[in-house]
Amino acid sequence: MSEVTSPQGGLTRRGFLKAAGAAAGAVGLAGAASMTSVDGWLAPAAAHAEPQERVAHLCHQFHCLTGCNLKCTIRDERVSLVEPSDLAEKSHQTVCLRGISEVEHIYSQDRLQTPLKRVGERGEGKFEAISWDEAIQTIADAIKESQQKYGEGSVFIRKSTEAGIDFEFITSLLHADGGGNWGLDRGQANGTAATFGAFSYCPNRSIWEMPKASTIIELGHNPLESGIVWSRVLMDAKEAGSYIVTVDPRFTGTAAKSNEWLPVLPGTDAALVQGMIRAIVDEGWYDEEFVKAHTSLVHLVDRKTGKSYRSATEMCPNPAVVSMEPVGAPYVWDEVTNAPQLYNAADVLPALEGTWSVDGVEVSTEFTLMKEWLADYPVEWAAKTCGIDADTIVSLADRYANNGPAILDFGLGGPDKYTNADVLGHSSSILVALTGNYGKEGAGFGFFFGGIGADDPAATLNAWTLPEEYGTTDGGVAMYDMPYTQNNIHVALTFGDAFTLEAAAANDMLAWVKSLDFFAIVDIYHSSAVDYADIVLPSCSKFESEEDVKSLRASYGHVMLANNLVKPLFESKSDLQIERLLAAQWGLEDLLPESYEELGRFMLEGVEELDPNMKGITYDALLEQGGCMPLPGVGEDYRVDGTASDLPTPSGKIECYNDYLYDWGQAFPVYEDANEAFEANPLKEKYPLYFMQGKSRYRIHAYYTSCQWFQENFGPYVNISPEDAEARGLKTGDTVRVFNDRGEFKCGLHVNRSLQPGVLFMAETTYTRYYPEGFLQNVTNSARLERGYDMYFGPQIPYNDTLVQIEKA
Amino acid sequence: MTTSSNANAPRLGASGKFKAVCAVLAALAVAGIAAWVYQLMGGLGVTGMNNGTSWGLYIAMFMFFVGLSAGGLIVASSASVFHVAQYKKVALPAVVLSTVCICCAGMFILIDLGGVQRVWQMLLSPNFASPLMWDMCVITLYLVVNIVYLRFMTSKKPGAEKRVAVLSRFALPIAILVHSVTAWIFGLEMAKEGWYSAIMAPLFVVSAMDSGLALLLLSLLGLDKAGWFKTDHKLIASLAGLLATCVAIDAFLVGCEVLTMAYPGASGAETLAIMATGATAPFFWAEVVIGLLVPFCILVFAKNRVRMGLVALASACVVAGVLCKRIWLLLTSFATFNVAGAPGVAGGSSLAAHAAGADMWVTASSYAPTWVELVVVVGVISLGALAFLLLARKLVPAGVAFAGEAASRTSGALAVEGV
Amino acid sequence: MTKWGMAINKTRCIGCQTCAFACKMENNVPSGLRWNRVLTEGCDVEDGALGTYPALSRAYLPIACQHCENPACEKVCPTRATYKDDKGRVLVDYDKCIGCRMCMAACPYNARVFNWNEPVRDPDFNYGDKDVPVRPKGVVEKCTLCKERTDRGDEPMCVVCCPTKARIYGDLDDPDSEVSRAIRERGGYVLLEEQGTRPQVHYFD
Repeated sequence: MSEVTSPQGGLTRRGFLKAAGAAAGAVGLAGAASMTSVDGWLAPAAAHAEPQERVAHLCHQFHCLTGCNLKCTIRDERVSLVEPSDLAEKSHQTVCLRGISEVEHIYSQDRLQTPLKRVGERGEGKFEAISWDEAIQTIADAIKESQQKYGEGSVFIRKSTEAGIDFEFITSLLHADGGGNWGLDRGQANGTAATFGAFSYCPNRSIWEMPKASTIIELGHNPLESGIVWSRVLMDAKEAGSYIVTVDPRFTGTAAKSNEWLPVLPGTDAALVQGMIRAIVDEGWYDEEFVKAHTSLVHLVDRKTGKSYRSATEMCPNPAVVSMEPVGAPYVWDEVTNAPQLYNAADVLPALEGTWSVDGVEVSTEFTLMKEWLADYPVEWAAKTCGIDADTIVSLADRYANNGPAILDFGLGGPDKYTNADVLGHSSSILVALTGNYGKEGAGFGFFFGGIGADDPAATLNAWTLPEEYGTTDGGVAMYDMPYTQNNIHVALTFGDAFTLEAAAANDMLAWVKSLDFFAIVDIYHSSAVDYADIVLPSCSKFESEEDVKSLRASYGHVMLANNLVKPLFESKSDLQIERLLAAQWGLEDLLPESYEELGRFMLEGVEELDPNMKGITYDALLEQGGCMPLPGVGEDYRVDGTASDLPTPSGKIECYNDYLYDWGQAFPVYEDANEAFEANPLKEKYPLYFMQGKSRYRIHAYYTSCQWFQENFGPYVNISPEDAEARGLKTGDTVRVFNDRGEFKCGLHVNRSLQPGVLFMAETTYTRYYPEGFLQNVTNSARLERGYDMYFGPQIPYNDTLVQIEKA
Repeated sequence: MTTSSNANAPRLGASGKFKAVCAVLAALAVAGIAAWVYQLMGGLGVTGMNNGTSWGLYIAMFMFFVGLSAGGLIVASSASVFHVAQYKKVALPAVVLSTVCICCAGMFILIDLGGVQRVWQMLLSPNFASPLMWDMCVITLYLVVNIVYLRFMTSKKPGAEKRVAVLSRFALPIAILVHSVTAWIFGLEMAKEGWYSAIMAPLFVVSAMDSGLALLLLSLLGLDKAGWFKTDHKLIASLAGLLATCVAIDAFLVGCEVLTMAYPGASGAETLAIMATGATAPFFWAEVVIGLLVPFCILVFAKNRVRMGLVALASACVVAGVLCKRIWLLLTSFATFNVAGAPGVAGGSSLAAHAAGADMWVTASSYAPTWVELVVVVGVISLGALAFLLLARKLVPAGVAFAGEAASRTSGALAVEGV
Repeated sequence: MTKWGMAINKTRCIGCQTCAFACKMENNVPSGLRWNRVLTEGCDVEDGALGTYPALSRAYLPIACQHCENPACEKVCPTRATYKDDKGRVLVDYDKCIGCRMCMAACPYNARVFNWNEPVRDPDFNYGDKDVPVRPKGVVEKCTLCKERTDRGDEPMCVVCCPTKARIYGDLDDPDSEVSRAIRERGGYVLLEEQGTRPQVHYFD
């Protein structure tokens, strides 16, 4: 068979960022003009009878919490093929559609090509191309002027998760404000932090144990569309016979693969969990032995003050989770001596329930107080609140408590996006504590996604540090609060689109951004916030580097050094070189590594001596191996086998009673409605629909918006139930207007049976330019949970705590 | 009776009107060719076809013109085979019509090809299992028969008439075959619910007969009106009677097919729903009413068959109805996919390739011809009409064809004459 | 004899579309066309659901050329451009394809796509496997079971990239191959069995 080989001649010229391209031609930037068209980059340098191919490797996204190592075929200096790496351990030879589609995404029409200077109004999106020198100079001048006028902390610098070089260089060098708490998706973690330890949302058992679980509850977690490659182990579990229950207001991919789907009303998951707790306590399904050995439920509480009854002299092994202050050791009621004893005294036999008077102080066990709390919350109440009938709640409780080992896998960024997420996290913790589904094979609690990604404990790397005098300034106001709280920020520099992604109620945020003296953005793509910037700097993708190597990362038991990449497209530069250019304006560039190679060599230097796990992993060995080496001795599941003992809480136990929240009335997770999204809200008369956003396989937040391959399948559209659509005369394909008092936007519509009546769903943001008008962040809720300031992760942004109305546009 | 001498006959060709008509047709034909060249440059993406509906107006016109070519040859060869003497009078214009129509049909096939420059692969690497290959063979044969027929009929050599008679014995089965094979292009495709039917070949034959006869009648009436070739109105009435029979048979076959589709209430009923109430419904009902009911009701009465205006009206209705039938028959089966689900099929047309968002997908297929297709079709029809006029002018002797009284008794039309 | 085939575990298929994009990338498939699709069965929107709320169900169906043993497309191709090769694959010889689209009408699975235009690619170069031939306008194309890869001894790209390992590729003529065993032991079935095409792509739940 002969083959048709007609290499494409005459590449079409496309309007790549029209304003920039045209302007670049006009000002005649040396050597730039040819690079601002696709022809310049995509046409082969020479006629290529025999294409030149080489292989590059890199660690792809962390932000989806998968960190795949990708093997890329570079042909004629273009990334032509992406596939799973053959250098990684078999279990980590992974890729998903996002990795594959980088072949297009790298070359997308939305790439920023040259530094830009705003020529229109902020938000208008009119720019002209300028040189790097001018751009850097302008940014530096604005920062210097502001810092002179208003102080060092008047400059806000934020790097998005995937931006930068994993080190806080430029913010610290300039003593800038880092924007404080991110407020992203740690609502439940606020509740679990005090009970299980600060980072207990990361499970302490391997995800690969999932098939050993008899019961798996996916609580607002949809790994099938978020951390896609981890779906594999969930499907292993399904095939192994694990009973999977998904709790989610909508029929997600994960729900569709589950044995049971419980469509809770948005923002009411905590009621479901509390119903389960009530059923378990009522039916005596709790694991008394575990409760006594591993939880604080036997600890005594002073009924009058609401504080734990603690020793003044004997201290807990660990400080308090949030305040980091030392904590006195709590007492239990010893059934042998019939007297209070320190919780960790030898041979103590703690009573589960009871109220006693000790030196005139009336004390009860936490368990007793818990029952008193639960007395007001029968299962029927839970059923009415969350919309799942009582029998189903009881049978789920039965299954979770009595058909173990069980995993309670909660998603970050689902239920977290309501103000009452801490109540949920705390309730779930108590559920786990009662049933003992923790710290043993096939049991677990947390956000199951394999490991902790960038913080993978298995790898040891040196951290590049700056001299002591450099550090960030904390102005005390989180970025998402800046439009609402008095602050001293006058100039902003963001690496990536912080303003439209890391804050709700975009009209408020963007009005504040417009009020800044100066705003510069470093981004790969023309993201939503770019239109508001005064200066735009084009950074390159992970697949591009000025050198042969790039980021060194540790991921799931592997060390990965990006290498053999293509040169930065157009005039873009790597984050390191951009930071060096900026630092040079203050003469500080020598404090930063000169190159990724220098940084990589530094990070690996001598680590063999520090950590036996790192044996043999040197910079040169890594390069020789192709850029990816598994850590010896870590094994396929790269996770220690955690137990339920010696937890990083003050007592080392699961601490169910959070007396630090007593004044908030939340020592136990007393149920409260979300801020806006609840059935009895009078606002529902005006805005009757819940507006949820969440993950899509076609995005990591807004990233991949500009992938045209994805655009073929997926655009900004809102999903609505057939009932709600019919009531409004809407059908699939309509353009609709979604609105509330905070704002509005227009987008496409899918009538989708996967939605329960009364709920709208839309995948997380897409660049505004792809909407007919506005974008979804215009309607989202920016309410603050005041008690959140007392919690480990602070108040979280309640994006989904949102009511709207929808109509045909 | 006018003289058969060509020289001093009042010829259409002599008039300025004829020249004007020819000029207009030629201009339209040139426009069609230009549109085709445009299509060759841009690819079939300039048509409304897509991966869901991968055949469109061209294939419908191909089916249509294969059918139209039938009337001529069937009438002409019936004259010899069944000794229907009266038909002999119109055999020549009939065969001219037939030749032109089959050429148009062939053109539509070639125009529809995405890689017409590789069409010689049909000869180099033929697959004789393909109905399209059969069709190419049988259409070529059919064209050859038509040309030979013309050659013999216009020959002044002795014995030509006998040769015509011999050839007729082959021509008739070939004519039947050409419609059957065209039907099998569709009828053997199990993948398409609305096509996969044994009735497809008879249905195509009868559709060919009624549309072909109708077009022949229209042509004869046209020539008659132009005063160029007079046809005895009795012959017209007789042919109209035959047309009524064909229309009735056509209606019967369509009815059989529809009942078979509907009765089990299974997937056939879904296809039926598309043509009864869905996207192709206008064409289906147009065929039933305009193509079957109206002409039958007109022609079933003998008194109507002698009114040339009504015969012309009925014939035009039949032609239009059969065109509608070609369209619904072709397109209905493309509308849905056997394996249904979102996002569906990647449309692939140039519109879809540049569409924003998820618009490149179709969960149910639709099709509308573009201006390119319409211009090409008009061009081909114009070219055909032009060819017919020129060939008729060159080959058909001016005169009047009279129906022989005796011969009419053996005519197939006899059966309905008494109605 | 070798008879390449595939078995797809629908229980494991999460509808993530990775195989669809992996195929597009590997085979340099132009804009607007796909060789491999993942359908949400019976729904008119991706990730839709069937049933009455809240008793809903959803199944994903990855579908591409079924490499039938009795390929309807091959039979009707007038120029033998579509052929069944000695490894059991249904392939297209683009040099012989005259663009008549008989095969598209004949394929019950809508597996074939046509180059209606001069192919447009985004990005604007020939991505994917360097050995995959570039198709001109006017020819039909479809899944080749990654002929170029499998001839080198690799598995098809959709199989390699599938995040949940839902796809098994192998020799159907070898009763001990993983794919044969999966079909046999897990109740494999084919799509549109009534069409008599006898697909070499099997599915199991």
